[in-house]
Amino acid sequence: MLGKGGKRKFDEHEDGLEGKVLSPSDGPSKVSYTLQRQTIFNISLMKLYNHRPLTEPSLQKTVLINNMLRRIQEELKQEGSLRPVFTPSAQPSDSLSDSYREAPPAFSHPASPPTHPCDLGSTTPLEACLTPASLLEDDDDTFCTSPAVQPAAPTKLSPPALPPEKDSFSSALDEIEELCPTSTSTEAAVAATDSSKGGASESSVPKPEGLQEGRPDDPKLMDSLPGNFEITTSTGFLTDLTLDDILFADIDTSMYDFDPCTSASGTASKMAPVSADDLLKTLAPYSSQPVAPSQPFKMDLTELDHIMEVLVGS
Amino acid sequence: VGGRGGTDIISTVEFNHTGELLATGDKGGRVVIFQREPESKNTPHSQGEYDVYSTFQSHEPEFDYLKSLEIEEKINKIKWLPQQNAAHSLLSTNDKTIKLWKITERDKRPEGYNLKDEEGKLKDLSTVTSLQVPVLKPMDLMVEVSPRRVFANGHTYHINSISVNSDCETYMSADDLRINLWHLAITDRSFNIVDIKPANMEDLTEVITASEFHPHHCNLFVYSSSKGSLRLCDMRAAALCDKHSKLFEEPEDPSNRSFFSEIISSVSDVKFSHSGRYMLTRDYLTVKVWDLNMEARPIETYQVHDYLRSKLCSLYENDCIFDKFECAWNGSDSVIMTGAYNNFFRMFDRNTKRDVTLEASRESSKPRAVLKPRRVCAGGKRRRDDISVDSLDFTKKILHTAWHPAENIIAIAATNNLYIFQDKVSSEMH
Repeated sequence: MLGKGGKRKFDEHEDGLEGKVLSPSDGPSKVSYTLQRQTIFNISLMKLYNHRPLTEPSLQKTVLINNMLRRIQEELKQEGSLRPVFTPSAQPSDSLSDSYREAPPAFSHPASPPTHPCDLGSTTPLEACLTPASLLEDDDDTFCTSPAVQPAAPTKLSPPALPPEKDSFSSALDEIEELCPTSTSTEAAVAATDSSKGGASESSVPKPEGLQEGRPDDPKLMDSLPGNFEITTSTGFLTDLTLDDILFADIDTSMYDFDPCTSASGTASKMAPVSADDLLKTLAPYSSQPVAPSQPFKMDLTELDHIMEVLVGS
Repeated sequence: VGGRGGTDIISTVEFNHTGELLATGDKGGRVVIFQREPESKNTPHSQGEYDVYSTFQSHEPEFDYLKSLEIEEKINKIKWLPQQNAAHSLLSTNDKTIKLWKITERDKRPEGYNLKDEEGKLKDLSTVTSLQVPVLKPMDLMVEVSPRRVFANGHTYHINSISVNSDCETYMSADDLRINLWHLAITDRSFNIVDIKPANMEDLTEVITASEFHPHHCNLFVYSSSKGSLRLCDMRAAALCDKHSKLFEEPEDPSNRSFFSEIISSVSDVKFSHSGRYMLTRDYLTVKVWDLNMEARPIETYQVHDYLRSKLCSLYENDCIFDKFECAWNGSDSVIMTGAYNNFFRMFDRNTKRDVTLEASRESSKPRAVLKPRRVCAGGKRRRDDISVDSLDFTKKILHTAWHPAENIIAIAATNNLYIFQDKVSSEMH
């Protein structure tokens, strides 16, 4: 499993990523710490969502994975609360327009699941993207406006508080932007698209199928866990993830270049990009379940399609 | 030294209290019992080897219609009851149901019935002219196994442990969140003695991983958790033993902290020593000996495969980090044993502090072959026969091991093969 081919690559990065005490405040090692955290977060999410067992899944395993996700989530929250608040005057409108320009290419292939440039090898930003719908209801001030992606720095920035005169169409557009948070540079986004097309296509094709097939099973799976344990915790993650995580995705571009964990273990669990569509389809049944009030699925598929058409048309 | 091929993956191994019998359970719900042949004066070198004594189907797969999920027939645990008469009894359990099996021998049969002939057909009464008393004649040994009790519907979650009390009347079964106490003769009810299910399942962060009765004190038992803690409970203190008498927990080593600290601290097995003075626990990377009188930390910690510490991310991704290894004491509590990957298993001598890595493989298990110690090289100087960490086979895992209660005989389950190793030279560790 830890094949010789992957060994060297593995060792290179493993030292930096594993087993050492990396505090988030260290300079250069912060990036690797953050990367590792993101990797583990993604793996954990995949473990929870991709599971379609014939028998009941191990409660111990589920609990341990959930604890892992919670811990990372807590860390992200804490880091978020330490960041300086971003003032509107300093808001970079350039990157905003960049985001707009990037949006059409993102949706030029709405039908092909793998080629989603905003998913830089992780499902997290996409699922985080699903939150603004609910947060729009909960907290208009912060999230109804565009989350301008701050370039370069690995540190995350709180979303800028734009003047709230934007109408609902703009906020809908903003939501779409959030579905497709571009990286710091357009080149990186394009590069990510290309590499995701090439590298992940074969594994990501089965993945969306898997997700869709998983749909009828997943509600059963959810119900089978006592007390809807998995439903409530998983939607809890989705609602709690903030835009910080989307901005956080800036760093993920480099995930395409090396993959310390997945390269060694083969295709079984590639972190294939998953389109927002697939995630929505997978999670749509849950909207009928009685879940916590802040469920993230207010925006239904038809509305999303409509918005996409508008964007593609423009 | 002997080896045995199987058709299914062995999921549990257990010697009985004398060591004469060895039971294995497998993923297909079957139980195979081996019996040690008595030593023969004619062949002094062939010191009691284990042969198949009986095979039976213990559990069948079931379907939970309410949840639309299969209930696996895999045997999670087998525990022998102390022998009280000519018959042997054992408990076997899958995820949901515990069964009590009685194993009896039949080596005689009655012959000379008046009303039936040899094949069992009724005789024509007109041919019967005299009465005879049926006589018991010897026959080929037949081992009969019959289910005596079925303890069902006691558990919502998956049973991970069963343990027979020293009172020989009760036993406990533990699942992820609850522990039940049963009377061996009563199947329609059990008594819940531990319940860690939170009122709101969203708050669930810890599960029960293993549980065992104290070997001598019938009121004491221990259970381990996924957070690495052990709780010793006294059934005399309260009806519901949620409140522990003692909590054994080692504080986290800050220099070893990682994302996986919690997962690798999860205790996969707990075993009281034969003396009852100590407990042995296994977590992902270590085995630890705890003194019942000291809750703050274990008295001994042994590294099983510390070279995996830098591979935890990969092992998390391929699920190996969730593998549940068991551990075992030898009869005198001086040596402890546990399994690892690549069909390696490890032994630690508590007195000399020496340890050895051995491999359970076909090459090493020729009769009367001596096991060669193996070494895993994690970088640095590499000797000729060393295995490098990256060439370890993580699909070959030794999760289940057992040690004869008195002698230096060990049973090692390597996937679907059972290896039985005997130390014939001496009882000292080399």
